[in-house]
Amino acid sequence: MSSLIQVVINGILLGSMYGIAAVGLSLIFGTMRIIFIAQGTMIVLFAYLVYWASIKAGVDPYLSLLWVVPFAFILGLGLFYVLFRKAAALEDRNVSLLLAVGLMYLIDNLILKLWSATPRGLDIPYSDAMIVVSGIRVSWLRLALLGLGLGSALVVYLFLKRTRVGTAVRAASEDMEATTIQGINSVWVCAISFAIGIAMAGVAGVGMATVYSFDYQFGFVFAIKALVALALGGIGNVFGALAGGLILGIIENLAAYYVGIEWIEVASYGIFMLVLIFLPQGLFGRRGLVKKV
Amino acid sequence: MANPLLEVRQLNVAYGDVRALWDVSLEVEEGSIVALVGANGAGKTTLLKSIAGLLRPLGGQILFEGEDLGRLNTKHRVDKGIVMVPEGRRLFQTLTVLENLRLGAYLPKARAGYDDSLDRVFTLFPRLQERKNSKAGLLSGGEQQMLAIGRAVMAGPRLVMIDEASLGLSPILTRHIFELIVALNGQGATVLLVEQNIHMALKICSKAYVMKTGHIVLSGTGEELLADVDVRKAYVGERGSRL
Repeated sequence: MSSLIQVVINGILLGSMYGIAAVGLSLIFGTMRIIFIAQGTMIVLFAYLVYWASIKAGVDPYLSLLWVVPFAFILGLGLFYVLFRKAAALEDRNVSLLLAVGLMYLIDNLILKLWSATPRGLDIPYSDAMIVVSGIRVSWLRLALLGLGLGSALVVYLFLKRTRVGTAVRAASEDMEATTIQGINSVWVCAISFAIGIAMAGVAGVGMATVYSFDYQFGFVFAIKALVALALGGIGNVFGALAGGLILGIIENLAAYYVGIEWIEVASYGIFMLVLIFLPQGLFGRRGLVKKV
Repeated sequence: MANPLLEVRQLNVAYGDVRALWDVSLEVEEGSIVALVGANGAGKTTLLKSIAGLLRPLGGQILFEGEDLGRLNTKHRVDKGIVMVPEGRRLFQTLTVLENLRLGAYLPKARAGYDDSLDRVFTLFPRLQERKNSKAGLLSGGEQQMLAIGRAVMAGPRLVMIDEASLGLSPILTRHIFELIVALNGQGATVLLVEQNIHMALKICSKAYVMKTGHIVLSGTGEELLADVDVRKAYVGERGSRL
């Protein structure tokens, strides 16, 4: 029994990373109507920056949150205005999607050039610190990940629900033209929600730098994990996206423990497909968002 | 004579290669209700969208208080008090009534008058106050139309352009909405009304324009057009009911 609890807890902690990435994807999907496939690569890029700051300047990775998140936000604004502003106004969403694919491979290869193909990972002095409660072991670092996930999802939720711009983001994700008709600069609103999505990649980058070993090809895999988490949780719901990540983490850990580590991907993608077949709106998604024809 | 509040001069608009408006001119006097009627595809919505700054005309001028709006974007036009209630209402369905109203008063000037505007909307539409925390998508058709108009009132409009207020509403609700539009006009808002329910639109307006395939083909006071045999035949129908 205690081993089951241990497996589930490990899954939740691992899944927080997927959850953070999925919240970012969800925000970007809301206004841009594309799966931002470069999200994983952005996370890896920020993980490298955090890694670099730690190696070169001795900055604690968690302290890096203070600069990497604002940096990611500003980078997000820049990317939106340079790359996506025109494409976002087109009816055909494929142009935005193709730009995201291009961006992903561009950054992947930029990372390869800058940091080589050698996988990197940080050696963190407090990485062995554990809490042990009646035989269940929880690493502080992974617990911090869960905290990051919950904290950032809460911030995004409050932004969407309580602020004027957040309300406009929700409006724009429903009806862009009607938002413009209210006198709202909907391009700016899209830019803000995109930039917050990238800022979430900054948060996830800190998490990745502390618990993973990563290389330049890791981004795409991670984007797919985030996509699975988003589909499990359901689009259009911040905590749903986070929960989707946690559930994916649990599925992966259960599969690894009870069936074998080589079954992780089979189990998670199998369940992903089953959810899409039977609950296309996701486990916590808004009904009606996926319209039946 | 003072300038009309809105003046459209020789406006030409096209969607790509397809011409939608041909030399359209009209005037809306301050404080009046002006109706724009005509069959589907006549260009009424195109005209409203051009005035709102959602479409770029090929040529011609749109003047507001005598000033050419040029290429001013929608945001700046809303700030000047030109507000549109779009066809099909286009409410934010997953947002509450109050959130929808708040978005109507998004710009700084409108936000400064938020409390007064909200009072005004709730006085005009008491039903909205009762349902202020409901999701807009859960409102009835009539309530949704009230909210769509209320959202425009929140902007502190000088000119409210209403596209097909009666669409999808029962005759009783339609009459009620029209009464509310007259009440809104009584409070000082100038109204430009696009309607398929021509009979009722002609009854409440002081002036009307009839559009056909992108042209203004007829104009006059509401009574004149109601009396006009051609209009009756072409648009109002034998029993004076809807099209």
